[in-house]
Amino acid sequence: MTIDRIPRFSVAERISHWMAALSFLYAAFTGLALWSHKLFWLASVFGGGSTVRGMHPWGGTIFAIALGIMFLRWSKRMRLDADDLVWLKQSHKYAIHETKDLPEPGEFNAGQKMLFWAQSLFALLLFASGIVLWFPEIMPRALRLAAVLIHPVAAIGAIGGIILHIYMGTAAVPGALQSMTRGYVSARWAQSHHPKWYRQIRGQ
Amino acid sequence: MAQTVAKLIDTTLCIGCKACEAACQEWNDQEFTLGTFGGTYQTMPSLAHNFWNLIKFNEIERDGQLSWLMAKYQCMHCADAGCMRACPAPGAIAQLANGTIDFVHENCIGCGYCITGCPFDVPRLSPVTKKVYKCTLCSDRTAVGLEPACIKACPTNCLTFGARDELLRQAEMRVDELHEDGYKSAGVYNPAGVGGTNVLYVLRDSTEPEKYGLPKDPKIPWTVSLWKGPVKWLGTLVFVGGILGAFFHYIRFGPHEEHGDDN
Repeated sequence: MTIDRIPRFSVAERISHWMAALSFLYAAFTGLALWSHKLFWLASVFGGGSTVRGMHPWGGTIFAIALGIMFLRWSKRMRLDADDLVWLKQSHKYAIHETKDLPEPGEFNAGQKMLFWAQSLFALLLFASGIVLWFPEIMPRALRLAAVLIHPVAAIGAIGGIILHIYMGTAAVPGALQSMTRGYVSARWAQSHHPKWYRQIRGQ
Repeated sequence: MAQTVAKLIDTTLCIGCKACEAACQEWNDQEFTLGTFGGTYQTMPSLAHNFWNLIKFNEIERDGQLSWLMAKYQCMHCADAGCMRACPAPGAIAQLANGTIDFVHENCIGCGYCITGCPFDVPRLSPVTKKVYKCTLCSDRTAVGLEPACIKACPTNCLTFGARDELLRQAEMRVDELHEDGYKSAGVYNPAGVGGTNVLYVLRDSTEPEKYGLPKDPKIPWTVSLWKGPVKWLGTLVFVGGILGAFFHYIRFGPHEEHGDDN
């Protein structure tokens, strides 16, 4: 048997990722129900307006916990280095598949790292403002006035980021989804998308 | 077409008898819960989910003596209602043809956004039903041609109910009288920032409505307006643009293929 299975994400990493993913989708769709009267039909799908009002904050809490675990696990590996800054400046070339001039990415490319930091920031803002909106009757008015603006703005950023993340993790990079479901990638995949990382694990 | 109705509160005639409070509790079948004693004649520190009409006994000092500025505190039934702007549940807050802002409890989801949207801090969340309550302008009475319960109970004609235009004229006449009597700063409280209110006040000193517990220039909070306006457009752009952008990117450029030699 060839050694073509390179482990990429551990079971713990995969479980925390999917815990975050599922709770995020629940919170996003129930949140969208309350975002616009035109999307309120979503509330019926999730059990009605009062149920959505009661459960959306719990979905958000589970998401915050899952993301907290991911943050602790990954924040060191997500630090940007000098190559990443060069990569970011030319990321438009990555988007149109002209990657030969770009610095070779390590375990994560700079786009993935930026997404990690952006989603962490949005999650923090969503959770902090969400707590305020959860208990309007005991929260000071000034906090509530800030929260009604921060919560939707952070949600737009988070959902926008997730649309990009889902696209990149499925259709745009074949093989990426498998790394998060089964936990491994092929050597060729690692060499193609994360050459610096590939050389590191091969000890070259 | 129903005409817009209003309540006129002539604070110069209020004697603080609290008959309106009792009538409100009685008609709306509210159980009375003991409030906290704040050392004044005021029944409660503020409104409650089961207490929609409060006479505020604002204490001021005039000529070295204690004086009360009594003002009825309740929903103002704004023309441009902040509660309604902030509410995410369709049909939970209705603006009736006569201008009354009424909460429809079977549609209320209990999020409490209306509390934040209200510039007068009026709606209150019930810890029992998890829904929000406030003055209904006795919509169940006005619908059949009766005046609201508080109006009916008032013994001094401090409270009047009727067509809004008519009451505004009446209020201005009363202000003229007060001017003649030497109360030069008397005026009508009908704040323009919320498009005018269907609860109007005659104040002896209208330059400082804060003394009566009324905000000087109430407006729908700007964070609420921003959230329900430009932020919504931005969100639609990001969500729809993101999905379409990803789709057409795939159509134009396809996936990032694997390359390089096999091992």
